[in-house]
Amino acid sequence: MRTPIDARLYQIGFLASFLLLGFITRDWQLHPEVVLTAIVAALTTQYLCLKISKCIKISKPLLVPVTKGDLGGSTRDLTELTKSDFYSPMITALGLSVLLRVDHSWAMAFAATIAILSKFLLQFNQKHIFNPANFGIICAILFTHEAWVSPGQWGESMWYVVMFLICGGLVLRKVGRWDTTIAFLSFYFAMEAVRNVYLGWTWDVWSHRMMSGSLIMFSFFMITDPRTIPNAKPARIIWTFTIALITFILRNYFFMTTAVFFALFLAAPLTILLDWIFKDDRFDWFNLSSATTPEIKSV
Amino acid sequence: MNIIRSFLAIALSLFLGFTNSLPALAFCGFYVAKADTKLYNQASQVAIARANDRTILTMANDYQGEAKDFALVVPVPTVLKKEQVKVVNAAIMERLDAFSAPRLVEYFDENPCEPIRRLESFDLDRPSAAAAPIASNRARDKAQGVTVEEQFNVGEYDIVILSAKESGGLESWLQDNGYQIPKGAKDLLNPYIRQKLKFFVAKVNLEKFETSGFTKLRPIQIAYESPRFMLPIRLGMVNAQQAQDLIVYILSPKGRAEVTNYRTVRIPSDVNIPEFVKGEFSGFYKSMFNTSYDRENRNVAFLEYAWNMGNCDPCSADPLNPDELKQAGVFWLEQPIGNNQPQSFWRGRRPQMSSNVFITRLHVRYTRDKFPEDLMFQDTNNQENFQGRYVMQHPYLNETNCDAGKQYRAGLPKRFDQEAQTLSKLTGWKIEDIRKKLPTVNLADVSWYDRFRAYVR
Repeated sequence: MRTPIDARLYQIGFLASFLLLGFITRDWQLHPEVVLTAIVAALTTQYLCLKISKCIKISKPLLVPVTKGDLGGSTRDLTELTKSDFYSPMITALGLSVLLRVDHSWAMAFAATIAILSKFLLQFNQKHIFNPANFGIICAILFTHEAWVSPGQWGESMWYVVMFLICGGLVLRKVGRWDTTIAFLSFYFAMEAVRNVYLGWTWDVWSHRMMSGSLIMFSFFMITDPRTIPNAKPARIIWTFTIALITFILRNYFFMTTAVFFALFLAAPLTILLDWIFKDDRFDWFNLSSATTPEIKSV
Repeated sequence: MNIIRSFLAIALSLFLGFTNSLPALAFCGFYVAKADTKLYNQASQVAIARANDRTILTMANDYQGEAKDFALVVPVPTVLKKEQVKVVNAAIMERLDAFSAPRLVEYFDENPCEPIRRLESFDLDRPSAAAAPIASNRARDKAQGVTVEEQFNVGEYDIVILSAKESGGLESWLQDNGYQIPKGAKDLLNPYIRQKLKFFVAKVNLEKFETSGFTKLRPIQIAYESPRFMLPIRLGMVNAQQAQDLIVYILSPKGRAEVTNYRTVRIPSDVNIPEFVKGEFSGFYKSMFNTSYDRENRNVAFLEYAWNMGNCDPCSADPLNPDELKQAGVFWLEQPIGNNQPQSFWRGRRPQMSSNVFITRLHVRYTRDKFPEDLMFQDTNNQENFQGRYVMQHPYLNETNCDAGKQYRAGLPKRFDQEAQTLSKLTGWKIEDIRKKLPTVNLADVSWYDRFRAYVR
């Protein structure tokens, strides 16, 4: 039986190529040592946390990868760590490298470490509350005074938007969470359009504001993290509307360049409430419901 | 756990490899010339000193026409009182310009046969700020929906701070009071009114101007506190037929500032160019900037300089002293760290001083089609230095009869050609024209084998 590919590998591939592309062509001033720091810190923290949780021997281990191999689904405990345990932290590390800028590597190490720790320590009902990369970005900005986000780093080249669309779509179709992206972008674009009309700007101002690469990157790769968004579809719609609204307010009335990240951060606890109201199955990487998705076996 | 261990080992060694391969700090060359704002037609200059939300904004004013025709209309975030408006010396903008301008530096090759003491050459151009276009004015009157929040006189200017309810009323008021605003400006005023911005309107008080003893209009400096960190360039685009150049000096205690709604790109820097550019540095920089501007699709901001204001390497001008920094708007100044003795900066040696003021020089050439939004900025903690630096390496062309001399001369044609290629790529100048200006090297006594080896090395 052919080994199907974990969808997260696609995401790792795309993030890595964005990083490389940004490094080569877009004058981001990325530093290889900062990227390496992120990767090393994230993977090390993940490893240590998994080991510690194994030692503590909690009856339901903190992160439960579910296998669906030829033996059928069953929860496995963490006697052995495998490659797939490190895909998610790799995504976190690459996401941080793409989005977060720091003056010294230690700030990136801090962001990556705290991102992974938040997955293990900040949980409710065995689901981690915050998107790890997002949490890492927020903590780095708030606590280190060394970190920032460069919304202007992408430019408005349509080509990048298309690239994101293709890559993001590929990943999303694999995990069946296209709805959050569409919902978020629709709500946010609509709010900005109304504001544009009220202010009296021409439409090219609106389209220029929407061409923010960070915004697109966020809506395709961050807000779609299936492990931290509400489980049920109606809950996700409400949730994305809230994030779009908070982003709109923070960007236009508080003049924050990091509006979209703070919006996700602030809305994360809302996930708990919505999951309680709208009950649905929790997402797992090994049990994708889409018919077009290949079966995934734990590697 | 072999996978993990081996991965960590590789990562660690790569990490160490990267950190160890950082280049050692090198002498950055002798300063030759700079490319300052007088290169550009109608370049506006603005200095923004900002810490937290407190901002001091200085607008340079090189209006060339009649003083009576001068008028300035700028959207500002808050009502400004008389204490918040000042007129400053025009020299301060020149100083900022000179300090941060892209620079040409030179090195001199030693005699390959025997070491000779380096010649030193210091060649300075004193810059002067370029002109900015301004509208005209007439007598005053009253209009509807417009509130005159403040009205006062500062230096040679009569200043009014207005708030308006709608753009038609504001337009009428301005026209009735002798400010000739261009057609189409009315539509542009609306977004600012809706965003609850006020309007800073200035014209020249002729009596005061005549008695002031100044022949040119001085820069206006305003201080305010607002979370908005922006420059309303849209208003200046109303009648512009061609691209307008704007140089922004952002002074910050934290580090580099950048544009958040357009890409910020570094101008090409640290490149070796042929010797003959020394006499044509202004032309070179203009062509290079035009080429980069077109290459980047004309919708980016260019970073020309980002450096701590306490030092420079090489220096195109003396670093600004505390008094000058205060004139430029720096209100958070501390004692400079380190050696306070003024050093001879012209020798190109790295000075010891560092201060908590960081300057970012951004050059934006904007047109209506590519810059629909006003510029928004953010300050970051990025303390990395950057400068526009163009390097001339003077070859040693005198007699060299030793073997080392022959090898050195054999290598020169290839080096000249590389420099020529770089120049052509940067400026778009034809490579054939450049090659005509390259120096010729006497290779008569160099063997064919040495020449070949030098070429393929």
